[in-house]
Amino acid sequence: MLTIKNLHARVEQIQILNGLDLIINPGEVHAIMGPNGAGKSTLGYVLSGREGYDVTEGEVHFKDENLLALDIEQRARHGLFLAFQYPVEIPGVSNMEFLKESVNAMRLHRRQEPLSASDFLKAAKTACQQVQLPLDFLKRGVNEGFSGGEKKRNEIMQMILLEPSLCILDESDSGLDVDALQVVANGVNSQRNATRSFVIITHYQRLLDYIQPDFVHILANGKIVKSGTAALAQQIEKEGYAFLNTATSLEIKA
Amino acid sequence: MNPWFQGVVARAEAKSDSLSPLRQGAVHSLKETTWPGRRTEHWKYTSLSVLENLELVHTPSNQELTVAAIENVQTIDLLFVDGKLRTDLTALQLPAGLTISLLDKADGLQYVIATSFFSQIKPKRHLFGLVNDALANDILFISVASKSIIKPLIRIISHHSAGHEAHQRVLVRVQQAASVKIIEQIEGQGQHLSTNFTEFEVSEHANLEHYRLIQPSAEALHFGGNHFCLHQHAVLNSTLLGFGSVLSRTDIDILHNGEHANAKLNAISVLGDSAHFDLHSNVEHIKAHGKTTEQVRVIVGDKANAVFNGRIHIHPKAQKTQAALHNRNLLLSRRGQVNTKPELEIYADDVQCAHGATVAEIEEDALNYLQTRGIARDQALVMLNVGFIQELINQLPDPHLAQWLNQGLLPRLKEIAIT
Repeated sequence: MLTIKNLHARVEQIQILNGLDLIINPGEVHAIMGPNGAGKSTLGYVLSGREGYDVTEGEVHFKDENLLALDIEQRARHGLFLAFQYPVEIPGVSNMEFLKESVNAMRLHRRQEPLSASDFLKAAKTACQQVQLPLDFLKRGVNEGFSGGEKKRNEIMQMILLEPSLCILDESDSGLDVDALQVVANGVNSQRNATRSFVIITHYQRLLDYIQPDFVHILANGKIVKSGTAALAQQIEKEGYAFLNTATSLEIKA
Repeated sequence: MNPWFQGVVARAEAKSDSLSPLRQGAVHSLKETTWPGRRTEHWKYTSLSVLENLELVHTPSNQELTVAAIENVQTIDLLFVDGKLRTDLTALQLPAGLTISLLDKADGLQYVIATSFFSQIKPKRHLFGLVNDALANDILFISVASKSIIKPLIRIISHHSAGHEAHQRVLVRVQQAASVKIIEQIEGQGQHLSTNFTEFEVSEHANLEHYRLIQPSAEALHFGGNHFCLHQHAVLNSTLLGFGSVLSRTDIDILHNGEHANAKLNAISVLGDSAHFDLHSNVEHIKAHGKTTEQVRVIVGDKANAVFNGRIHIHPKAQKTQAALHNRNLLLSRRGQVNTKPELEIYADDVQCAHGATVAEIEEDALNYLQTRGIARDQALVMLNVGFIQELINQLPDPHLAQWLNQGLLPRLKEIAIT
């Protein structure tokens, strides 16, 4: 599904990713944890193709395509989805109109007919219910005046509608209360299958209580410094990232 | 002196008809006028030099025109071609309480009433308003009797033919507790010059829903004005939509002449190529408890040029006034220009006022967000442009009319985004 080799990237001349390697197979759920400033969100942005995030070295292959050669929208149409940590508000553009354009752009790419207005509405309503967003959210401006939790649920709702093959969730749990966390987790779990993969970027073990990851990676100083199973996340929850300091200082000495 | 203007003064002096006594003041003022240049405050960003070498016909053309209906909106259509009314007023079936006549053919009482406010609401400082006073021929007078609620939309279509010059005037009187909806559509072909001025008297507790659509040809030279006098508890909801042209200038005046009047003015302008659109608005609060909400949104693409001057003047007696004026400009091109100046003058101490102007480019974050959902960059740009304008369109009281306006707006927005 996704192969990242020796990825280096910088933002405004500051090197953030320093040789990151990661392989994700279809159906797998990978959690990426790490201290603040480790480069977790940068990884999500680089993969999504955001402007200003420049890859200086390395390769990324997504479903046998050179991901880095694709435009932002092409990456999305190939099935890469990034749930934003801070989704933008776009007043004046209704959620409904936005989602319809988006769904149909994906369908066109998959050589499917565009959805009729009524079929789209049906799909959108179902997705809304799945993340417990009231239906009138469809009529409102994209994320306009949504609370933090509503924005996160709106991201998951989009993920459900767009049916991507790789979902990157950038701190989809931050700022959520327990109930909202459960809703987000249920949304994600309902989408898990043998072909769809997930990268879950999080600070806390909490989300991983609801979404069982296959692998947990620790990202520090722009690279994966440790990988393991769900047990690794529990270890971090107990002990923090202190062990990294020794590892990093050793590395510097070497 | 500008040769076109010299011609105007000569024609104004020579004109002799039943309305001549009404025009005298304007003719006199025109003779005294100094032709505005770049140093004239109100013409600082709009050059009149294009008027220097004009050869235009002053009599209306005979071209045949039909008016396309607005879907799901019942209208009373009044068609003007080059300032001449084509609609046979005697053939119109008007709802009770509504009178429409030409000033020179109005009956005795109507004539007296109409002439009593001809050029009384429109301030004298508007140079092209004076030209209109002196030269407009078919002056339309629309009167809504007190307590009459007029359901159909009164639609005034002003068509201007290529190579023509025309001056058109409308007077509207909405009497006590009456309610009416009026749309003015200004259209045209090729190079032409037009002045379209309308004066509205909105009486106590009356309600006016008003629209003006300025969509002439790219080569048009257009000067327009909407001038409103609001009496106690009058409600005005006015929407202006302009696409600009070589020279397009509109002046809006709102006078709060009674307490508790409520004025809402939304203006939208979408400018591409080298279109120019100049909007000057002036709101006078002379009585207490008035409310004004004015929002102006402009999209400037390519080499277009937007000018906005919005003034709200709160006089000493206008306590408890609530006034807000916001101008937002979306600049899509490095070659486009925006000159904006919101002005608030407050001489009363117990008021709530806000004003502001912004000029911004498309938000990259929003563009990126749409793209990450598979929407192509060009398409995303169009969506953001539409969104910028749609916030105001969504406020229109009539959804059918909003839909109809969108049919004209969306293609323009697409053209602009892609250049």
